[in-house]
Amino acid sequence: SFIIEERSFMPCEDLLYGRMSFKGFNPEIEKLMIQMNSRCKEEEIQVDDKMEADVSDEEMARRYETLVGTIGKKFLRKRDQRVLQDEDEDGNSNTRPSKKAKKKFLKPQD
Amino acid sequence: VTKCGLLRHRQAGGGAAAGGAYWVDSQQKRYVPVGGDHVIGIVTATAGGAFKVDVGGSEQASLSYLAFEGATKRNRPNVQVGDLIYGQFLVANKDMEPEMVCIDSSGRSSGMGIIGQDGFLFKVSLGLIRKLLAPKCEIIQELSQLYPFELVLGMNGRIWVKAKTVQQTLIIVNILEACEHMSAEQRRQALAKLSGN
Repeated sequence: SFIIEERSFMPCEDLLYGRMSFKGFNPEIEKLMIQMNSRCKEEEIQVDDKMEADVSDEEMARRYETLVGTIGKKFLRKRDQRVLQDEDEDGNSNTRPSKKAKKKFLKPQD
Repeated sequence: VTKCGLLRHRQAGGGAAAGGAYWVDSQQKRYVPVGGDHVIGIVTATAGGAFKVDVGGSEQASLSYLAFEGATKRNRPNVQVGDLIYGQFLVANKDMEPEMVCIDSSGRSSGMGIIGQDGFLFKVSLGLIRKLLAPKCEIIQELSQLYPFELVLGMNGRIWVKAKTVQQTLIIVNILEACEHMSAEQRRQALAKLSGN
């Protein structure tokens, strides 16, 4: 048989939380009372409140869309930057015979 | 250590306890620090990175500066000598000085920390505290009907009460002290007299 010695009284008698407030004397403690005492019950009521965001999700998505492009451009090499500029300027593909945008490494032909 | 009292038993099957529990329900006034208990302490000294807190045990407990929510090395908690602290024991065995913290295992304060200004602190026996903290305590329910007030119960036998006026505070203090020796009927009579006034 397993006997565990426990020195505290808390698990024995299922005591409540020590801080209490009544009739709205301290609203924060009243909220805490509900939270703490509901933890004793079988289900833990997950406090399901979305934090109120300063920036809405939509705006966040829009901002991110443009942000990724801007920051990405910072890290392009010079050649790529020029290509990007060309692409922006004329929407249609260039009339000149297309130069290779990115010069791949050409193996030396013997 | 021997204790005398009633042997109590709780069946297995409760949501919290895994197996049945037996304990001796005894009456005593002197508190022995036990890990995990929430207690009210009085700050007596600030000594080298930690506060010395008197919890009514044989030794003073130590409370580190960093054991508060949102405390960093630069951001010290605003605690003076003589303040009241509600915290829980981290470590408390008979070989070492007990250690207290005002923060729970997930890092939040959840109601612990400095107890505010005003209010009244007094000492009762440990049995009364356990009775008051029982899940359905009539005393607390009846008192809560009277006036708005705030109550902090420490497992070390200390209770702190704060109500709107000094008189109301003292009334609550007297009821709590006396209800250990009153029967339920006497208590109801006393409360009825008060709410009548």
